[in-house]
Amino acid sequence: MRRNRFLAAMAALVVLASACGTSSGGNAQAKVGGTLTIDNESGGLWSCAFNPFNGSVTGLSVGIFYEPLVYDNLLTDKKTNWLASGYEWSPDNKTLTFTARSGVKWSDGQDFSADDVVYTFNLIKQHPELDLQSVWSVLSSVTKSGTDKVVMAFANSAVPYFFPIADQVSIVPQHIWSALKDPVGDSIANPIGTGPFTLGQCTPQNITYTRNANYWQHGLPYLQTVNYPAFTDNDPANQFLAAGQAQWGGQYIPSIDTYYVAKDRAHNHYWFPPIDNIDLWFNTTKAPLDNKAVRQAFAFGIDRNQASQKGESGYEPPGNQTGVPSPTFDSWIDQSAVSKYGYKFDVSKATSLLQSAGFTKNSSGVMQDSAGHKLSFNVITIAGYTDWDATLQVVADSLKQVGIQVKVQDLSSNDYFDKLFSGKFDLAYGSLNTQPGPSPYYELRNTMDSATTAAIGQTASGDYGRYKNPAVDALFDQFGATTDSNKQHDLIKQIQAVMLEDVPVVPVTEGVAWYEWSTKDFAGWPTQQDPYAAPAPWNLPDMEVVLIHLYKTS
Amino acid sequence: MSYLLRRLEFFAITLWAALTVNFLLPRLMPGSPAEAMLVRFHGRVSPQTVKAMEIALGVHSDQNIFQQYFEYLGNTFTGNLGVSLTFFPTSVAKVVMLALPWSLGLVGTATVIAFILGTLVGMLAAWRRGGIFDAILPPVLIIISAFPYFWIALFCLLLFSLTLNWFPLGFAYDLTSSINLSWDFIGQVVSHAFLPALTIVITSIGGWILTMRNTMITTLAEDYVKMARAKGLSPLRIMLQYAGRNAILPNLTGFAMSLGFVISGAILVEIVFNYPGLGFMLLQAVNGEDFALMQALFLLITVAVLVAVLIADVLTAWLDPRTREAT
Amino acid sequence: MAVPALASQEIAEPVEPRAGVLRNVFSSLMSNRKALAGLAVLLLFTLVSVFAAVIAPYDPHSLQFDALLPPSLQHLLGTAANGQDIFSQLVWSTRESLLLAVVAGVFATAVSVVIGVTAAYLGGAWDHVLNLFTDVFLVIPTLPLMIVIAAYAESHGVWVLITVITVTGWSYGARQLRSQALSLRNREFLDAARVRGERSLYIIFFEVLPNMTSLIVAIFLGAALYAVLAAAGLQFIGLGDTNDLSWGTMLYWAQHNGALLAGQPLWVIAPGLCIAALGGAFALVNYAFDEISNPALRPVKKRKR
Repeated sequence: MRRNRFLAAMAALVVLASACGTSSGGNAQAKVGGTLTIDNESGGLWSCAFNPFNGSVTGLSVGIFYEPLVYDNLLTDKKTNWLASGYEWSPDNKTLTFTARSGVKWSDGQDFSADDVVYTFNLIKQHPELDLQSVWSVLSSVTKSGTDKVVMAFANSAVPYFFPIADQVSIVPQHIWSALKDPVGDSIANPIGTGPFTLGQCTPQNITYTRNANYWQHGLPYLQTVNYPAFTDNDPANQFLAAGQAQWGGQYIPSIDTYYVAKDRAHNHYWFPPIDNIDLWFNTTKAPLDNKAVRQAFAFGIDRNQASQKGESGYEPPGNQTGVPSPTFDSWIDQSAVSKYGYKFDVSKATSLLQSAGFTKNSSGVMQDSAGHKLSFNVITIAGYTDWDATLQVVADSLKQVGIQVKVQDLSSNDYFDKLFSGKFDLAYGSLNTQPGPSPYYELRNTMDSATTAAIGQTASGDYGRYKNPAVDALFDQFGATTDSNKQHDLIKQIQAVMLEDVPVVPVTEGVAWYEWSTKDFAGWPTQQDPYAAPAPWNLPDMEVVLIHLYKTS
Repeated sequence: MSYLLRRLEFFAITLWAALTVNFLLPRLMPGSPAEAMLVRFHGRVSPQTVKAMEIALGVHSDQNIFQQYFEYLGNTFTGNLGVSLTFFPTSVAKVVMLALPWSLGLVGTATVIAFILGTLVGMLAAWRRGGIFDAILPPVLIIISAFPYFWIALFCLLLFSLTLNWFPLGFAYDLTSSINLSWDFIGQVVSHAFLPALTIVITSIGGWILTMRNTMITTLAEDYVKMARAKGLSPLRIMLQYAGRNAILPNLTGFAMSLGFVISGAILVEIVFNYPGLGFMLLQAVNGEDFALMQALFLLITVAVLVAVLIADVLTAWLDPRTREAT
Repeated sequence: MAVPALASQEIAEPVEPRAGVLRNVFSSLMSNRKALAGLAVLLLFTLVSVFAAVIAPYDPHSLQFDALLPPSLQHLLGTAANGQDIFSQLVWSTRESLLLAVVAGVFATAVSVVIGVTAAYLGGAWDHVLNLFTDVFLVIPTLPLMIVIAAYAESHGVWVLITVITVTGWSYGARQLRSQALSLRNREFLDAARVRGERSLYIIFFEVLPNMTSLIVAIFLGAALYAVLAAAGLQFIGLGDTNDLSWGTMLYWAQHNGALLAGQPLWVIAPGLCIAALGGAFALVNYAFDEISNPALRPVKKRKR
């Protein structure tokens, strides 16, 4: 009890601190004004729909119009109370109680209250099409208690679901949505939310957001207008950013130093924090990939440094076999285990592992065992992801030296995901389709926990390689039952050990949040020294936090 | 009259065949709309959510393929084109209207300009045999039309927009403008459309010039032209009203088809110049397994091309009685 | 954007004795400047693709070099974003680009001939059906067809592109071949063959086709040009196999690595020029061919007044 009140107090302090500005300073002089342009390739035209539960347009409305209960920083897991002024877990971690903040108004002037929160969650329950975070797979009820408390009851303790529930669900106004005939099919062309911006104008090629003068964080936002243009492809988007017509980018930019930074050395910056892994997935049901020794040989046979340098131009750091992205989640990595296994590019180690497993090089230089299994595979990837293609060229080259032959198969996006989800592959290259979270648990679970997978031929939402290990499944379940940070770290250490030993996937490079910014006219940006939010314009709802920190300098 | 009837019959049957192909084409692709949704939503959507979404989007059909086919045909003729998956929940009709005016405007205008300019230059080249137009222009144009379109577009963009700053960097109009009919807005549209239109004209004009030139040369050798010259009619009149009018006929069908294909947009233009249009929308629809949008766009293209060809055939038959005997 | 095949071919051709046709064509081509220029380019590319291993200084796949080096004596065109030597890539890419153009051109022409001539020769209901078939293919949008076909192929290589180009490129030529075949159908020499008792297939192959040679060659050249540009366009969007070595995929990689803006313009310029040269060569030879078969089109010297 006491710890929770302490946490709540800390949370309140944090809110105060963040509302008053970051350590980047200068916010005392920040005046209201300025027009920011976001540069994020969206693929085509805007249809001017802003339903926050419509997966295709969440990036345009979540955070900007609609806000979450608690903001949980994707990079640091630091929680900041948002629409909830506090929250509390019950001792058995089966009940979560939020206190709705007072003094918050919807953009049409009506008051926000706990009723809206209860309504939102029950709306999602009523219409499963809106449950983008699958929160009702763990919730059993959401009810109001007292005047301003929302009580959420779980069937079983599910602590990690705090992130999707508190940070990822947008709260919508009951007085508007209860009158909608079809909340799923309504495009919500005029969104009413609690957020820092309202809709100014929407054309097929650009959305203009206007400052909400009645935003509950008084004095914020500083920006008067935000433009969000629609780009058909990476190239026009990159050109726009490089020409200085947009200030905040979320793009992969090739040769970024010459292409972007050189255009304005004093003001153009970039930072790519790692948020997840891009893995080589094994179909662990197919021999010889079901053999642990073979998978370990892969882990020694891939030159991850070269893959990062040549394939990703060094933008994405090499992956490490623990599956925990570094340096973002360094505090979770078990360095002693890492040194014990010593995974690095080592052709002789890989070869000897294979030889001990009964493989010898045949006449064409490909490893083969007595049962006739050849180490020759196809790896599927998405056509158009040029950096993945380049990385796979390096992977194939390095594995060739070990005697493993890998042929790259570029598939159309649909074909790729069809094969990935249904397990119709030998090797697959890519990251999890599900979003990462603020701790390594989320990605590791969706990579290894057999509860997330399905039979071959059925659609799996995780564990595409159909890896089954009851012991590690139990570890994930235990993680879900505790709020004790030490216990959580210990469980992740045990899970890492399984990753290092069994090698269900090989993390080749780390996926990053692409982030470019120009300090020419605006300040208040998140940086590596001050990661107050995950910085890409497509990190939701973190992008809202960035938007309310930015201010015009000129 | 029987010629007209035959052409109409042809039109109807071709339309039906094309509609059937359009129905089958999306369904032959691997994956499913549900998976495409799963990919797009990037969330931990549960199987129940996916199932519910499928029902909401009308994707999960209990009907067999024949029932779906007849429903499709019925819906097409009543104009019920459905709801787009990629642009959910906007209706397909509305989505198409977002891009249709721009495709028609840019690509249509550019095609017409290319045709008219090309035809005139071709006529001139044929009229002044041996002159500059004739000796140098055609080979030069052949080379230019062999350049890949996007290559020329990229260079134009680099030179005129990025380096010289004469034209904007993309889009159909200024970002902060709303769509209206003011002179200022029209001015923006023209300045944004100039480079894309220029590149389309450069790469396609060569073909028109050459075809016109060749048919014109053959026409000029005809007896009635010699007769007109002997009569002492002015060269301009002969070139335009006697020779030109007849030389243009074989090209009309080609021009009509080009106009029809305008609706398929020009995907490379849209990508390089970030111009809203139907070409890129089609690519998106195909990638997103958006059956409704795909079918609507295919339908639009097919009908446009067929109508254009029909009009061209009728026009040709009206202008040149000889063709009514053929076929 | 393909150059539509020249309409002048629809006018009936003078019938020539079979044996003399090829010899005449050859000598005429040699005396025409445009044809010589076009053929020279084609010959150059053919030689380059045959002797690629000798001409290219390095292994085009080798990742050993530093990325994005500027042009120098060691690397005539510089290096690509992953360290591959651009000049070596350009040389080796000639093979696939040439292959695509010629093979797709031949296949498309072959299908045009089969369908166009058969429709004309059989006449009646068959003609009606084949015409319908041709028209339907004329209006199918290329892109979705490409994606469907590509989705079924295990890999996205050259053969998928060839298939798509053939499927989308034959219908235009078929129409023209049909009209010419129709005009030939009732000529005396065919009646003679029929009276002799020759089978239909024989008549088609050995009597009709040889008299359509010039049109068929023209259609092949047009189809090859279409193939060059269509392949380049499709590869540029990324619908080919991006691990293949061809000019179109080089442009794809160059564009995706921002070559123009990141200071490696030669990476974009070189393959683009090669595509233009190859396409231009086919177009020039086609143009020259036109002039040869239709004397009225030949260059005229301006008469001094």
